[in-house]
Amino acid sequence: MPSIRTKIGPISLENPFMLASGILDENGYTMKRILENGASAVVTKSIGTDERTGYSTPVIVELPYGLINAIGLANPGIDNFGEEIKIALKGNRPVIGSIFGSTPEEFVNLALKMENYGVNAIELNLSCPHVKGFGSEVGSDPDLVEEIIKELKSKINIPVFSKLSPNVTDILSIAKAAERSDALVMINTVRAMSIDIYARKPVLSNKYGGLSGQAIKNIGVRYVYEVKKETGQQIVGVGGIETAEDAVEYIMAGASALQVGTVIHKKGIGVFKELSRELEEFMNHEGYETVSEMTGVALS
Amino acid sequence: MNFSIILSKEVVAKNTVTLKFSFDKRVYAGQFAMVWTPGKGEIPISFSHTGDPKGITIKNYGDMSAPIVALNAGERIFFRGPYGNSFTKPKDGDYLLIGGGSGIASLAPMISKNAHGIISARSMEDLFFLDKFEKSKVIATTDDGSFGIKGNALDALRTLDLEKFQNIYVCGPEKMMKGIYDYIKPKNIAAEFSLERPMKCAIGICDSCSVNGIQICKTGPVFGMDSLRDFTEFGTTRLMLSGKRVNI
Ligand SMILES: Cc1cc2nc3c(=O)[nH]c(=O)nc-3n(C[C@H](O)[C@H](O)[C@H](O)COP(=O)(O)OP(=O)(O)OC[C@H]3O[C@@H](n4cnc5c(N)ncnc54)[C@H](O)[C@@H]3O)c2cc1C
Ligand SMILES: Cc1cc2nc3c(=O)[nH]c(=O)nc-3n(C[C@H](O)[C@H](O)[C@H](O)COP(=O)(O)O)c2cc1C
Ligand code: FES
Repeated sequence: MPSIRTKIGPISLENPFMLASGILDENGYTMKRILENGASAVVTKSIGTDERTGYSTPVIVELPYGLINAIGLANPGIDNFGEEIKIALKGNRPVIGSIFGSTPEEFVNLALKMENYGVNAIELNLSCPHVKGFGSEVGSDPDLVEEIIKELKSKINIPVFSKLSPNVTDILSIAKAAERSDALVMINTVRAMSIDIYARKPVLSNKYGGLSGQAIKNIGVRYVYEVKKETGQQIVGVGGIETAEDAVEYIMAGASALQVGTVIHKKGIGVFKELSRELEEFMNHEGYETVSEMTGVALS
Repeated sequence: MNFSIILSKEVVAKNTVTLKFSFDKRVYAGQFAMVWTPGKGEIPISFSHTGDPKGITIKNYGDMSAPIVALNAGERIFFRGPYGNSFTKPKDGDYLLIGGGSGIASLAPMISKNAHGIISARSMEDLFFLDKFEKSKVIATTDDGSFGIKGNALDALRTLDLEKFQNIYVCGPEKMMKGIYDYIKPKNIAAEFSLERPMKCAIGICDSCSVNGIQICKTGPVFGMDSLRDFTEFGTTRLMLSGKRVNI
C-alpha cells in the first residue's frame, strides 16, 4: 500500500490535502469539523490587526468553472480570533494561521499572537494592498517581502509559509525574496471581474475580485513548476484542485503538499476523503510508494 | 444571476411588501434566494410563494432591504438561487406554523386548511398573513399588546395542546426559536426550525452562517430537533459579518 503522508517544512501531514485560507475557516467549529473529515491541516482565514466587515454583498460570483470572490479580508481582528483557534485545535491536526499586514512590524505582531494561540505554522498572505506605493500589493515588492520574512524568522519559532499572488509581473523575484520562508504557497486567486449584462453593472460590490477553482488550475501548475525549477524551494500547490489527477499534476510540477478551497462548493467537505482515496489509487496504479517520489518528476 | 419582471406588488404590513414574479424553476417551501439590487447589495430572502408566480415578502430593515421594498411592478428583480433545503411536506392531519417577525414569510407556502398558526410581531401594524389561515386556527401575538395576545410566540404556544399536531414548523428570531425549542424538547414532538444567520455567499464556502461546523445556507436553513440538539451555538453565540463571535 502506498503512503500518502507528506511533510512541509518540519510539519508532518497525514495526507497532502489541507484546507486553503478563506474557505470555511472563520468559525473554529467549522475548522474542527473539516479536520475531522479528512483535511490534513487547515489554514485559517487571513487575519489582520483590526476587525473588518469586508466588502458589502455581493461578494461572490458563481461560474461554471470556478468562483470570483471579493470578501475584502473580512476578519474579526487578531485579538478576537484566539477562541476560534482554540476550538479548531480540538481537531487534533495542524492549524496554520494566515495573516495579512502592510509592514514588517505588523506581520511580526500578528504572528506572535498566532504563535501564542497555539497554531502550528504561519502563512503570510502577501496579497494585501500596502500603503507606501499606492495600488501595489505587499507581495509585489521584493524588498518588503524579504524584510518581512527576515523579521519573522528572527522573532518566531514556528514555520513560516509565504503565499504568493499570481498577480505580479515577476513571480520569480518575489519567490527569491521569500526564500527564507519554510515553504512557498502558490497560488492565490487571479484578478478577475464579472459583469451582469442585464443589470449593466459589475456583480461584485467591489467590482474586482479573485478567480479561483478549475479555471486557474493550469495557471497554478505553471507557477509551481517554474518556481520549483528556478528556486528548488518547498512548495504547497493550490488553485483549482478538484480531483486526484489535478493534485498529481501539482505534485509532479514540484508541490510537496496541496491546499483546496473552491472545490468544496461543488463537492462538499467529503472531498477531502475522496481526494486521499483517489490519490492512493493513483499511486498504487502507477507504482509510487511515497508522495516525495512523485514530487517534481515532471521537472527533469 | 437570474432576473424576472415584477408582476405585482402588494403592501402586506408596515414597510413590508410581497413582490410576485415568474421564475420557471421548482422552488420548495423553506428555500431562499439571494436578492440583488445592483449597486446596493444582496441579501437572503425566502420564497413566500413557491407556485406560479413565485413571490417574496420582504420587510424594510435597512440599507439592503430598502431598495428591494422600493421596487415596483414592471421593474426587474435580480436574484440567485433557489438555495437551501426545505421543510418536509406535512402529512395528513393538523400541523402548526410559528412565525416571528418576517419569519412567517418563509412558512407561508405551507399554509393550507390543515395549518394552524401563531404569528408574532412587535405591533399590530407589523402583522401579516393572518388572513391566509382559517380564522379559528390562528393566534396573533404582539409585544405591545396592540393586537392578539400581549407577549411572544412562546406565550401563545403554551396555550395550545400540542398533541394534536403532526409537526411544528418554526421560523423567526433565533432567541424566539431557542425558547420554543427548549419548550418542546421534553415533549417529544416533531418540529422543524428554519435558522437565520448572516449570509454572504449562500453556497457554503464563506463560513459566515455556520453553526457547529454546518453551513446553514447549504445544509439548512431547515433543521429538525435532532440536529439542533448538537448545535451548541444555536441560541447562544454567532459570528458577526467580520467573523467576531458575539452572544445572541
Ligand atoms: C435564510 C434567510 C431567509 C430570510 N428571509 C427573509 C424574508 O423572507 N423576508 C424578510 O423580510 N427578511 C428575510 N430575511 C432577513 C433579511 O435577509 C434581513 O432582514 C436583511 O439582511 C436585512 O438587511 P438590511 O441591510 O436591510 O438591514 P440591516 O442594515 O442589516 O439591519 C437593520 C436593522 O434591522 C435588524 N434586522 C435585520 N434583519 C432582521 C431580521 N430578520 N429580524 C429582525 N431584525 C432584523 C438589524 O439587527 C439592524 O438593527 C432572511 C434571512 C435569512 C438568513
Ligand atoms: C471565498 C474565498 C476567500 C478567500 N480568502 C482568502 C484569504 O483570506 N487569504 C488567502 O490567502 N487566500 C484566500 N483565498 C484564496 C484561496 O486560499 C486559494 O488560494 C484560491 O482560492 C485557489 O484555490 P482553489 O481554487 O482551490 O479555491 C480565498 C478564496 C476564496 C474562494
Ligand atoms: S453564507 Fe457563506 S457559508 Fe453560508
